[in-house]
Amino acid sequence: MGEAAAKTGRLLRAAEAVAYWLAGAPLLALLPAGLAYRAACWRASWAYPATSEKHSEVVRSLRQVLGEELSEQEAERLARDSFRIRSCEVIDLMRLRGRTPALGKLVEVRGREHLTTALAGGKGAILCSAHFGSYDCAFSVLNADGFPITSIGRWWWNYPPDGSSAVRRLWDFVVARRVHRHRQRPNIEPWPGRMQVAVQAANVLRGNEVLTICSEAPPLEAELSRTIDVPFLGRQARFVPGVVTLARLTGAPVLMVSVHRLADYRHQVLEISAPVPMDGEAATAFERCAAALDATIRAHPAEWDLWFESDDLARLGLLRDTHPAASGG
Amino acid sequence: MDAVINDYISRELVQDASLLPLGNATSLLETGILDSLSLLRLVVFIQERFGIVVDDVDLVPENFDTVDTICSYLRSREGASRAGSRG
Repeated sequence: MGEAAAKTGRLLRAAEAVAYWLAGAPLLALLPAGLAYRAACWRASWAYPATSEKHSEVVRSLRQVLGEELSEQEAERLARDSFRIRSCEVIDLMRLRGRTPALGKLVEVRGREHLTTALAGGKGAILCSAHFGSYDCAFSVLNADGFPITSIGRWWWNYPPDGSSAVRRLWDFVVARRVHRHRQRPNIEPWPGRMQVAVQAANVLRGNEVLTICSEAPPLEAELSRTIDVPFLGRQARFVPGVVTLARLTGAPVLMVSVHRLADYRHQVLEISAPVPMDGEAATAFERCAAALDATIRAHPAEWDLWFESDDLARLGLLRDTHPAASGG
Repeated sequence: MDAVINDYISRELVQDASLLPLGNATSLLETGILDSLSLLRLVVFIQERFGIVVDDVDLVPENFDTVDTICSYLRSREGASRAGSRG
């Protein structure tokens, strides 16, 4: 009986999520921003009560990774905030309509001059981020602002290639077409067997354009031989230092970027750093990037997407008893 | 050309010493020597050493699976650019 109720609950939540993406959020995005984002927060509080499995997973991940830094109440509060932020990110996506998306008015860009200076060097620029905040939409805002942006990233619905075509069409319709509208070139997707990915990325930089990479993506099995262990969120985490290799081979500067939401949930701040030094061993250079990502996540923990993906946290070696050497892949 | 390519891959890209000496017919993909990033390093090397620009569409396993296939691809590119410059 309890299991049947849980299954029904999961089905209802999935149906609600699809309805929100397809109908609710597009309608809400037409409202004045204050109202739209408030409604998105209400929706999150209503659809993900503290009893849901996903809520428990997020609380568990937060406590396991941030450990003693967080009380149970604080972890609960951050989990609720994470759901509100995710709900608001759908509104961000819907507000990407047109050449100058309405979202741009709500995002304050700090450090734009660093990106302008980097591009003046003629070797392109790499914006290195975490899966943090409304990063995809923030890159779209930069593109609409005149910076030619192309992203490297795996869209989960495109893999495995023989996955459900209905699911692929749904996410292409609600996400990919909106994001692509504000990108210089098609998304570069580094799935196994796609040998050309790094060369495509290098071509973006040779064109003196901007490449975005989320550098804390957990390594795939095929990438395990290329990983390095660096300090991250209090542990030794396992990463593929692709951003360092790419920067060194192309001469492109690496700038750290983060976007976080203000207390009103509708305004956001996108911060671009000065270039990160890429000298020394690859692990040392990547450590600098990881340290910047670490600081961003600690400053605004609710904004990190990976709290929702405990498998990914395990593959990075961030959950207890899942040190890289033990967690396989 | 074969020796130069083999030497570069052996020196810079092979991480597992048990794969050395590297045979010209050894699969670089099946042995995990070549992935996306190491392919970029190889392409940059080819460009600097031989002045051959590798097109995106040519970045397929058939052209980069072994030292032999890499060299025959590069020879075909050299031949094409010579013919192009004559014509």
